[in-house]
Amino acid sequence: MTATTEIRATETDKPRHRRERRLHVSPGLLTALPVLIFLALAFAAPLLAVFGYSFMPEGTFDFTFPPTLENYLAVFSGSYYISFAKSLGLALVTVVLLMVICWPIAYGMAKLFGRWANLMTLAIIIPLFVSENIRLFGWVLFLIKGGVFLGGLKAWLGFDGESILYDVPAIVLGLVYVYLPFTLFPMVLGISMVSREVTEAAFDMGASRWQVFREVELPLATPGILIGGLLTFILSLGSLAESKILGGQAVIMIADEIETAFTFGQNWPLGSALSVILILFSGTLVLTLLSWVDLDRILGRGGND
Amino acid sequence: MTEGRKKRITHNLIAVWSGSLILFLYLPILTVMLASFSKQRYFRFPVPAFDGKWYERAFSSLTVRDLVSTSLSIAVIVALASVVLGFFGALAFARFDWRGRRLYQRLVLLPIFFPQAVLGLALLIWFSSVGIIPDWRTAVIAHMVWIVPIVTLVISIQAYSFDPALEEAAFDLGASRWQTLKEVTLPVLWPGVVSGALFAFLLSWGNFPLSLFTTGADQTVPEWLYAKMVSGYTPLVPTLGALTTTSAALVLILGYGGWVLMRRRQAR
Amino acid sequence: MADPILRLSQLSKRFGQFEAVKGIDLAIQEGEFFTIVGPSGSGKTTLIRMLAGLEEPSDGEILLRGERINETPANRRPTCMVFQSLALFPHRSVGQNIEFPLKMRGVPPVERMNRALDLLRLLRLPEDYYKKQVSQCSGGERQRIALARALAFDPEILFFDEPLSAIDYRLRKTLEKELKDLHRETGKTFVYITHSLEEAMVMSDRIGIMRLGELVQVGAPDEIYSRPANRFVSEFMGEVNVLEVKPNGAGLHCPVLGSTLQGPDGKADFESGYLVIRPEYLRFIAPGETAENTVTGVLYNEYALGSRIQYQVRVGEQVFLVEKLREQRYGGKLDDEVTIGWEARDSVLATE
Repeated sequence: MTATTEIRATETDKPRHRRERRLHVSPGLLTALPVLIFLALAFAAPLLAVFGYSFMPEGTFDFTFPPTLENYLAVFSGSYYISFAKSLGLALVTVVLLMVICWPIAYGMAKLFGRWANLMTLAIIIPLFVSENIRLFGWVLFLIKGGVFLGGLKAWLGFDGESILYDVPAIVLGLVYVYLPFTLFPMVLGISMVSREVTEAAFDMGASRWQVFREVELPLATPGILIGGLLTFILSLGSLAESKILGGQAVIMIADEIETAFTFGQNWPLGSALSVILILFSGTLVLTLLSWVDLDRILGRGGND
Repeated sequence: MTEGRKKRITHNLIAVWSGSLILFLYLPILTVMLASFSKQRYFRFPVPAFDGKWYERAFSSLTVRDLVSTSLSIAVIVALASVVLGFFGALAFARFDWRGRRLYQRLVLLPIFFPQAVLGLALLIWFSSVGIIPDWRTAVIAHMVWIVPIVTLVISIQAYSFDPALEEAAFDLGASRWQTLKEVTLPVLWPGVVSGALFAFLLSWGNFPLSLFTTGADQTVPEWLYAKMVSGYTPLVPTLGALTTTSAALVLILGYGGWVLMRRRQAR
Repeated sequence: MADPILRLSQLSKRFGQFEAVKGIDLAIQEGEFFTIVGPSGSGKTTLIRMLAGLEEPSDGEILLRGERINETPANRRPTCMVFQSLALFPHRSVGQNIEFPLKMRGVPPVERMNRALDLLRLLRLPEDYYKKQVSQCSGGERQRIALARALAFDPEILFFDEPLSAIDYRLRKTLEKELKDLHRETGKTFVYITHSLEEAMVMSDRIGIMRLGELVQVGAPDEIYSRPANRFVSEFMGEVNVLEVKPNGAGLHCPVLGSTLQGPDGKADFESGYLVIRPEYLRFIAPGETAENTVTGVLYNEYALGSRIQYQVRVGEQVFLVEKLREQRYGGKLDDEVTIGWEARDSVLATE
């Protein structure tokens, strides 16, 4: 044989090269230190404090007491599970709604809009810089009786309606509104990883539009969709402003309970115990999510390899 | 023929749907703008009479001045400090290969996905337990916990496209380590640094959940707005809301414009 | 021979368990154009990075004019590297790029500028490029800018890390020749690495072939072309016919053909080896003609390669490639039974 195989076999793995490129010992750790020290003091330490307080007796404000599980017992025997369940339920509804709302838009941004997609991205990012409670307050003015929506209906169509404000639908609207970019952008990223040729190949081999969606696009875009969904879920779960501003007191979210325990209740240990449960729950989800993701690939390093 | 038409209809539907989304995103902001010009004490639609008097009041109000100066001080310090930490953080995130990098990347991102209200409360009890009385300076720390990771991420995206050979070339051509950082690394990453600072400023300026628990006796604009929304409504709420929104947009436009100008001057 | 400008002795580099460069001995003469050729993963990049001072050797020595420079960092070595990506600074103009090494050495601005303009002339770039942005330059121009920058502080040796690998074929051919011209013009020592032996052949005075961290053969281009040291080198040269053989007294027995062949004169004291025959040394044997070695098979396919035509002849399991100039093309058609042959002296015997 006129074998070129031998040469190919000696082309050892690429990653070696990256390691060969390293300049010297570990400038990485050195440059990471400032951020790590800061986060240790201002992120890890407060969380540890919360963890510590959650084992202190009710109504205490330092760590000098023998640890107790009474706060956790109080959480599990009280009615807090209702807030947890409601928060989980609302977060779930938000995620499902956002999936449906965002798919066509994400598809359009990744595949159809071309240069317009950049403009669209900008248009979606800009409101993120407006304070969340101002935007939510805008919804209050829009939805309130006599506001833009109902006032407009009445003045122009003579139609009198009831406001959806201060109830579950308004909270869902707020959550959908605030967390839309967090579902949308990962989804766009996911869909843009589905190459045009792959879908065309599927069409060419006789798949229908629906089959292409189900068999090719959806599975390939799944990582992006999952990341976006999980992200939205975690953020909605810990949300506070939406239920307070748009929901009145219709639904007490878990973050509400935590705040009440810390502030009005002056019961840090109980607030801490509630926090620990929420942190453990969403922290596990975040870490799972982050361990799935190849950050280097998503953020651009994979591209030049 | 029909296949093509069906495709066109789908595309148009998607375009219309996307257009409505943009409207949906700006609807509440536009409503606030509209309300800020309303003459009445309580907002009604259609607006019976327009007036700019609430703007006059806002500009002359001492409370507003205090609020803005608190918010501004926090945002400026947060932006500067976050950029310094984020610059080095991004080098560790994207530029260097080191043993703990993957773990570090995940740790750094963790605060971004953390419920901000809970984070604010956790910081509050942490400050109290170590004997720090919260004021606007503790809010700077609180904002940074959330913003430093974001800035790190923003600068990292720039650092990923950075060719390590540039640094090696500079070194090989006779530059010291410090000269390499000053002459090559920093200038090349500059776009990321600038957008990181802009992000940091705007996110701090608009932040509410973290400020709520960590400013102590001081108050930021979003906090005051929230307090007034919940009780003791005044027409200054939409006015100040509209003002902070416009000023954020102004910073964004000025920042972007300045950036484009700088690029153009450089390209000449 | 004069003292070499660069001498490597037992130079090695390990990354953890992995040994990228394994004890290399080599002497490079002043003014020489020396090229190291090897497939990716052969350790050639690591080797040149050690020479440039970007990687520290694990073992062995690098001597520059007899002086050990192992520990001298890149910024203090009188050598300079042209990178694969060229590593031109995107935020600086062409002039600022070329002046960079001078600025680092504290040369005053006027002097820097004059030197930069001289270099632009040397590399046949218009003087008004001095103010141009690097991003506005074409691939060939960038190449020349990188060369100008590398020459700016008058280094004694220039290293090249595959700078032409990302350039399209036609421009590459032009730049190869320009680089060789530049070598003549400057009289400097060039050490070049590439994975393309063809590229090395065009430019180099001497070539070193590297494989799995070791130098397999070092020699002038002609030497490597006509006397490859082993099967690896000969296959690296391009498409060749390789036959596994064992000496059997009468000649070389080839199990896959089931016949005995005549090899070139030389040693016969080996267990088994490879007979390597370049496709252009094979010819079709018409009835009545003879050759020292002949085999008969079926003409399976033909490929037009510009001025030459390549034929695939199948002899049982063995595939032969035969290359002929267009004018000497084979007259028959596919699926013909053909006899091909070659002379013993045109083959090379490789024992590993």
